[in-house]
Amino acid sequence: MSTKKLTELSMLTAAALIVFVVELRFPDILPIPGVKLGLANIFTVYAVYRFRASEVFLMVLTRVILGAIFCSNLSALMYSLAGAMLCLAGMLPLHRIIPAKYLWLCSIIGAMLHNTGQILAAMAIMRSPAVLPFYPILLTAGCIAGAFTGICAQLILKRRLPSDKK
Amino acid sequence: MTKGVKICLAAVGVIFAVSLVLTVKFLSPTGRDASKEDVWVEVVQDNKVICRLNLADESDRTFRVTAPDGGYNDITISEGKICVSDADCPDHTCVKNGYLRYDYLPVICLPHKLVIRFCEGGGSK
Repeated sequence: MSTKKLTELSMLTAAALIVFVVELRFPDILPIPGVKLGLANIFTVYAVYRFRASEVFLMVLTRVILGAIFCSNLSALMYSLAGAMLCLAGMLPLHRIIPAKYLWLCSIIGAMLHNTGQILAAMAIMRSPAVLPFYPILLTAGCIAGAFTGICAQLILKRRLPSDKK
Repeated sequence: MTKGVKICLAAVGVIFAVSLVLTVKFLSPTGRDASKEDVWVEVVQDNKVICRLNLADESDRTFRVTAPDGGYNDITISEGKICVSDADCPDHTCVKNGYLRYDYLPVICLPHKLVIRFCEGGGSK
């Protein structure tokens, strides 16, 4: 990994973390665990279309772990990790099928997979399906939030740095 | 638009429509009214039913449920409604949830594995 790439990835991770921490201060939209905009995912979706799979994986892993430490909520690490990994597992192969023009679609699917991962982790920890009724609510919210973050990422992707021009 | 994109778009559309319908169904408030009929709720911790309460008979009170790892949830019953009034979990989602008011959506405290939900009648206190 070149220094330039390392710096770029670190910058993106740092920016994602700032957005993540700021978003924590927003009041909850719905009193349902897991419903949030997920603004930090703008950077994830952007990175999926910009970097190689292993680089995106490292970036997301760093962000999730540092995010959990920064908001001192290590018990939530399991849910976000399961969500983020499932989301990546879906988005990385999908970005080959879905062109950048339909990036928002990839983002929506990623958000849905994120919610699926969260619910699966919650069911595994609770060892009961009591959280399952929250799944459709999370999916609905995830679709809307995913579309929003996807459109944001799409706007960023258009604005390449001058040095990128080949 | 390639075929792959169309398939993804259709799948997303279907999933969104189904979950939207289910969301509306799950978010409709319960028809149970403790001032008119017996309303049973159960408090479940770590898959074990701790107690079953009839909200129609209960007087206003607060009791504490202690989690195995030392945390607590204070459960308050007031005027035939039940909620978690205080807890020492990190996210406080159970407290923000407010009163139990949906048939399908229980009040959940994930860190303490606590669930408060409506149940059918009977059982001991």
